[in-house]
Amino acid sequence: MIGSLSRTTPVIVQGITGRMGRSHAALMRAYGTNIVGGTSTRTDMKEVAGVPVFASCAEAVLATGAVASVAMAPPEETWTAVQEALAAGIKLVVTVAEGVPMHDAIKIGRAVRRAGATWVGASTPGLAVPGECKLGFLPDVCLNPGPIGIMSKSGTLSYEVGYRLARDGLGQSIWVGVGGDPVKGVRFADMLPVFFDDPGTKGIVLVGEVGGTEEEECAEAYARLGARKPLYALIAGREAKEGVSMGHAGALVHGESGTLASKTKQLTAAGATVFGSIESLIDRCTRTYRFDKR
Amino acid sequence: MLLIEADGKALFAEQGIPMPAGVVVTGDVPTPPGNGPWMVKAQVPVGGRGKAGGIRRCDTRAAVEAAVAGMIGTRLKGHEIDACLVEAAAFGQERYLAIMVDAASYGLRVIYAKQGGVEIEQSGAAVGRLCPPHPGAVAEALAELIADEPDAWRDQVAAIGKALATMLLERELALAEINPLFVSESGCVAGDAKVVIDLNAIGRQPRIAEMVAARPALYLDANRKIAEGFDYVELDPEGEIGLVTTGAGLSMMLIDELTARGAKPLNFCDIRTGQMRGSPARLIRVLEWITARSSLKAVLVNIFAGITDLGEFAGLLAAAIQASPSLRVPVVARLVGRNAAEARRILGEAQPGMLVTEDLEEALARIDSIVGAAA
Repeated sequence: MIGSLSRTTPVIVQGITGRMGRSHAALMRAYGTNIVGGTSTRTDMKEVAGVPVFASCAEAVLATGAVASVAMAPPEETWTAVQEALAAGIKLVVTVAEGVPMHDAIKIGRAVRRAGATWVGASTPGLAVPGECKLGFLPDVCLNPGPIGIMSKSGTLSYEVGYRLARDGLGQSIWVGVGGDPVKGVRFADMLPVFFDDPGTKGIVLVGEVGGTEEEECAEAYARLGARKPLYALIAGREAKEGVSMGHAGALVHGESGTLASKTKQLTAAGATVFGSIESLIDRCTRTYRFDKR
Repeated sequence: MLLIEADGKALFAEQGIPMPAGVVVTGDVPTPPGNGPWMVKAQVPVGGRGKAGGIRRCDTRAAVEAAVAGMIGTRLKGHEIDACLVEAAAFGQERYLAIMVDAASYGLRVIYAKQGGVEIEQSGAAVGRLCPPHPGAVAEALAELIADEPDAWRDQVAAIGKALATMLLERELALAEINPLFVSESGCVAGDAKVVIDLNAIGRQPRIAEMVAARPALYLDANRKIAEGFDYVELDPEGEIGLVTTGAGLSMMLIDELTARGAKPLNFCDIRTGQMRGSPARLIRVLEWITARSSLKAVLVNIFAGITDLGEFAGLLAAAIQASPSLRVPVVARLVGRNAAEARRILGEAQPGMLVTEDLEEALARIDSIVGAAA
């Protein structure tokens, strides 16, 4: 689903009449995303950002043929929003709320898997195919069509990377914020086949964080799938305090598990390159892809 | 977030999980339970207490008093010890039992090992089973893992596992671990309790909320997050660079890069400009915490504004600096994104001499020179 997103993919915004919903529906449309409608429990607003407001996902999907949804729901209501989207037949759900309870995320994950759908979240700035569409709120200033696939646990750190690539004339093929929650939808390893199969992607940038084992899983999958394209990794949290979540619930180090050393070792062994600073990552990308600038 | 053992055991007790008789002491030691020997354990929310010297076995009351006196007020792995748990030492063979959320499978992982002890997590001796998030499924998984335990305690281990699973699901925990679990013919008891809570669920978990609120000093970062609505973690009370930053990942990376350059960051911060809604109050709070440390040499503001209007933010920052008389060190601002030029103009007028740049490397170089000059 992520690999086939384009400017024609019909997308709805759940919770479109809220402050976030209104503003981001308009920003996504302005970027070029085919926003075809939204949902809300409010009955007094028939139209937001130039698209119709429906009472439910089922109605919205029936009327518009939407296949993807951006759920602008508060964290405690995200699980309900996803259930509604799946019941309506939505195949790609992007949830942006920060602080979705972990056990709700487990329920979401199981329901999405049963439905054969794709989930990006729990907390994510979204995803984008630069020049085509964005689902969520990746800043336009960072988006530029180009050869690099980005996947990131951190919103802001990926903005920094995307911004510097764009400033240097480079850009991104597909950009997915997998988010900083421990229990989530699409994981790093899930994105590798997407990037490998995408003809526009020449190299992959992984923006990781300490905590969890997602980088390690990704290293294993990268080696198993034959390391078909270069993988460059930047991992934040070398100096993270043990036992304390540094902002992201997933960025929690206990003992040896989830440390930068473990992630670096496994990624390097799998054939990826791990960088110690943003600048060194950008340098490598600009040198490697200097003929792909635009 | 990891609970201290005493809080974890309070949750265990509510589920009927047996454990040694014990008492939490903060100063003078009351008569400890039983006739000894006793275990004296520092109550700090961090793993590896045993290896770090935070757990002592004592044979006499005098030794208990000495151990408590020797621990209280000292620091263990970055946390000040303000309480110890004094428990009757348990006997029996040691086992390891844990139930945790398994993120990749959207289920739970049940781990049981015949050897408890401090090395278990690294040794790979633990056998695990994945199962759906239901108490019955955990019971089935555990039944397989403990099939070769003797009749004398197998059923009791199964009952403890079921209670642990119920607790994990009802309290929405990330991890519930007993290491060691003492097993013997006379019964099983939980020697330790490692419970990791989900702060995101605290709004609908009143029992957990009450526990966190009851210990403002021990759970400082969590209480601050709940009270203030954003993340601020003090990393080093003798740090030199105060950070006013947005984004967890970028803030962590800045800390890594500053440290690699030889600077000493004071704090981690994800200030969330989107929630400020036109008030400098949050910035003033952060400046107040940062300037409370006399080691401070500079403040680095790093805002990557995808949505936030930097012109508005610059106004708030200027107001916050003016409202912070305790701020006597240079401020370096790296502001990039929407309306950055307007932000530069506003701060240029309000704070002449302050470096305001869109280039992070330039901002870091300025920090280097300030710290170098101050040294």
